[in-house]
Amino acid sequence: MPDVTRGTPEGGAADRTMIRLDALTKRYPGQSEAAVDALTLDIPAGHIVTFVGPSGCGKTTTMKLINRLIEPTSGRVHLDGRDVTEVPAPQLRRRIGYTIQQGGLFPHRTVADNIATVPRLLGWDRRRVGERVDELLHLVGLDPKTYRRRYPKQLSGGQQQRVGVARALGGDPQVMLMDEPFGAIDPLNREALQNEFLRIQAAVRKTIVFVTHDMDEAIKMGDRIAIFGDNGRVLQYDTPERILADPAEGFVTEFIGSGASVRRLSLTRLESVVLPDWPTVEETSDGETLRAAARGSDRDYLLVLGDGRRPVGWLPVTGEDRRPGERLPLLSPLGPRDSLFDALDHMLTVNASAAAVVDGDGRYRGVVEMDTLRELINTRAAGAPSSSDHLQEA
Amino acid sequence: MPTRLLLRYALTPLCLGLVLLVLALYVSSQPRDLIEERSLNSEYLISRTVKHLELTGVVTAFILAVAIPLGVLLTRRWARHVSGPVLALASIGQAIPSLGLIVLLTVAFVSLGVNQIAVIAFVLYGILPVLRNTIAGLRQVDRSVVESALGMGMTPRAVLWRIELPLAVPVMLAGVRTALVITVGTVALGTFIGAGGLGDVISNGISSSRNLVLVTGSVLVAVLALLIDWLAGIAEDFLRPRGL
Amino acid sequence: MTFPEFFAENWTDVLDHTVAHAVLVLQSLGLAVLIGVPVSVLTYRTGAPRAAVLGVAGLLLTIPSYALFGLLITPLGLGSAPSVVALTLYALLPVVRNTIVGLRELDPAVIESAHAMGMGRMRVLVTIELPLAWPVLLTGLRVATQLLLGIAAIAAAVNGPGLGNLILDGLATAGTPFAVYLTIEGVAGIVLLAVLFDALYAIVNRFTTPGRLGA
Repeated sequence: MPDVTRGTPEGGAADRTMIRLDALTKRYPGQSEAAVDALTLDIPAGHIVTFVGPSGCGKTTTMKLINRLIEPTSGRVHLDGRDVTEVPAPQLRRRIGYTIQQGGLFPHRTVADNIATVPRLLGWDRRRVGERVDELLHLVGLDPKTYRRRYPKQLSGGQQQRVGVARALGGDPQVMLMDEPFGAIDPLNREALQNEFLRIQAAVRKTIVFVTHDMDEAIKMGDRIAIFGDNGRVLQYDTPERILADPAEGFVTEFIGSGASVRRLSLTRLESVVLPDWPTVEETSDGETLRAAARGSDRDYLLVLGDGRRPVGWLPVTGEDRRPGERLPLLSPLGPRDSLFDALDHMLTVNASAAAVVDGDGRYRGVVEMDTLRELINTRAAGAPSSSDHLQEA
Repeated sequence: MPTRLLLRYALTPLCLGLVLLVLALYVSSQPRDLIEERSLNSEYLISRTVKHLELTGVVTAFILAVAIPLGVLLTRRWARHVSGPVLALASIGQAIPSLGLIVLLTVAFVSLGVNQIAVIAFVLYGILPVLRNTIAGLRQVDRSVVESALGMGMTPRAVLWRIELPLAVPVMLAGVRTALVITVGTVALGTFIGAGGLGDVISNGISSSRNLVLVTGSVLVAVLALLIDWLAGIAEDFLRPRGL
Repeated sequence: MTFPEFFAENWTDVLDHTVAHAVLVLQSLGLAVLIGVPVSVLTYRTGAPRAAVLGVAGLLLTIPSYALFGLLITPLGLGSAPSVVALTLYALLPVVRNTIVGLRELDPAVIESAHAMGMGRMRVLVTIELPLAWPVLLTGLRVATQLLLGIAAIAAAVNGPGLGNLILDGLATAGTPFAVYLTIEGVAGIVLLAVLFDALYAIVNRFTTPGRLGA
C-alpha cells in the first residue's frame, strides 16, 4: 500500500497500529439492530482516519466507544497496545483529544481556561500550563495576547472551532477524536479551517479519528477512509485513492456518487505535479518581441509575467497572422497547495481553458490545462489504478 | 453607562428610603394613644423586623439546602423517570394556599413549637421555585458542553461542580430570588400562629382598629420585600458567571 | 365525630364559602382584564410606557399579600372591597404581561396586510390583533387565576369572603378535633377550585383558539 504514507515522513512508525477495534459491538436495550456490529479496525499511528457514512450509521458511536463515552456491549478497544478498560475512563480520556461539532467550549471560562482544561487535570504546574496555552493559540493561528482572556461568546464560529482544536491538543495527546469538527462552519471558512488543520497535523502528527458525513471532507482530510453502512458495519476501509478508483459494490459506489473520478482530482496537489511548458512574455516586452513570441507558439494565449516573474495577465493571439491582442487581467493564480480539483473549479468559474500556477513565493511555475484534467478524469474513470499518467508526479 | 448603572442600582433604595422617611414623619406628627404607642415604638418595630429577617433567612437557607441537592439528584440520568412526578406533585402542592398550609400544620401538629411549624410551612411553600429552576437550569446546559467535559477526562463530579452548576447559576438565581420574595411575604403570615415578624404589626392594627399601626406595619413589610427583591437582583447580576 | 360526619353537617357552609371564594376571584379577574387589556393595548407599541406599566405591575406583585390587604383597609375599610382591589392588583401583572407579549408576538405582515386591505386601526385591533393574541392572554388568565385562588384565602383576615374563613375558624378552634376538619375543608376547597378552573381553562383554550394556533 504505497499510498498509505501520504502526508507522513518516509519510513518512521507509519504502520504501527495506534487504535485497534476488536469485534466491537454496541447494542442498545430495546433495539433489534446493533448500533455497532462486531467492528474490527486497525488505525495506524500518525494518520487521519475519517469515518464517513449517512447519519445513524454508527460512526459517532464507534468514535465514542474509543474514549469510553459509550461502553461497548462486547468487544475490545486497544490503544497503543493496551486495553482501554485498564485505566479509569477519566484518566483514559485525558490522553485522548476530543472535539465535537458544536464546539462544546465552556461558555463561562476564558479561551485560556478552556485550553488549560486537560493540562490542569493532568496536574501540570501553572507556568507550564500558561506556556502550553500560548503555544497552542499560536499553533491554531490566534494571537494569545488578544484571545487568551476572551470568552467563547466573543469569538466567531471559526475562531471557536480553532479554540476547540487547541483545547483538544491541550494535554499533547497521541490520539484525537474529532466529531464533525467543522460541520457548523460555513463552506468558505470550513475549507480554510480544513487546510489549516492539515497544516497543523503535518506539524503534530497525531493519530486522528475524524468523523464526518461529507464524502468530500472525508477524502480531503483522510489518509484512510472507513465507509460506514447501516448498523456500524464498515463496508470499505482504504486510502481515498483506492476507494475512489475501486469502490466496493453497491452502497459505497452509491455513497461516493457519480463524481468519484472528479473527486480524485482533489487528492493531487499542484506542488507535486510537473507542469508543461507555456509561452510567456515579460510585461515590459516591446511589440516586436510579443509578435515573435506569438508566432513562435501554437497556443491561443501568451502568459504575461510581471515583476519577480509573477503572472499578471493573458495575451490573446488572434487571426491567421497570429497578432497579439488586448491584454486580459489575471487575478488569482493557483498556489502549490491547491489541488487539481481546485484548478478545475477555478477554470470553470472564470470560464478559462487554462490556469497559471505559481510557487510558494508567487513566482510563475507553469500552466495547467483543462484538456489535461479532462483526460485525467476519463482515464481514471476507466479504472486505471496508477495515480497519474499525463501529469507526472514530481 | 456608569451613571445609568448607578441609577439602576440606587433608584430603588432611594425611593424606599423616601417612603420610610415620609412614614416616619407622618407617624411622629400624629397624636398617638397608648394602644398605638405599644406597636409604634422603635424597640418593638426593630424586634419584629429582626424576627422577620431571622425567619426569612432560616427558611431560605433550608429551601436552598433541600431544593438544590434535590434538583441536582432529579437531573441525574438515573432519576429522569422520577423528576416528572415529583415536579407535578410539587406543582399541585403549590395550589395549597400559604395561609392554609401554616394553619393546617399548626392544628394538626399541636406538639410542635410555632417557630418550627412556621419554618416547615414556609420551606415547603418556597421550595418549588428553587427546585424547578435548579432542574431547568441544569437541563438547559448545552449537552455538547457536558459531553466535551467528560470527553476531556473530567470526572462526573467535576463536571457537575465546575461545568453544570456554574452554567445553571443564572436560572437558579432567578428561582432563589422568587423564593426569597415569596418567603418574605409568607413570613408576614406567621403572625396568625404567633410566630412573630412584621405581620404582628399589621395584625395589631387590624385587631385594634388603629389605621396608623396598620399602615406602618403594611408599609414596613412592603418595603422589606422590595428591598430584598432589590438585593437579590443585584446578587443575580454579580453572581452570574462571566462569559454568559 | 369523624370527618365525614362533620362534613355532612357543615357542607352547606363549605359550599357557600367556596362559591364566595370563586366569585371573589372571578370579580377580581374581570376587573384586572377591564383595566389591564386597554392599558396593554395603549402601551404595547411604545418602549417607555410599556416598561413603566410592566414595572408597576411587577412591583405590585412583589408586595406581600398581607401588607397589600392591610394598606387597602385604611381607604376601603374591612370586608369585600379591599379584598377585590388587592386581588385585582395582583392579577394585573399576568394579564398585562401576557397581553403585551401576545400583541407583540404577532406577525407584522398580518397586521400590515390587514391595513393594506383598508381596515381601520380599531377594526384591525378588534378583529385581527386581539383574537390572535387571545391564546397568550388566556395563559395569563390561567396563571392569574391560580395565583388569586391562593391569595384570596387571606381575604378572610380582613373580614373578606371566601374559604379563608374556614381556615381561620380552624385556627380559632385549635386544640379541638374540629380545627383540623375546618382547615382541611378550607384548603381542599381551594385546591379543588384550582383543579376545576384549570380544567375549565383547558376546555376554553380548546374551543376558542382559532385553528392551528392551539397550544
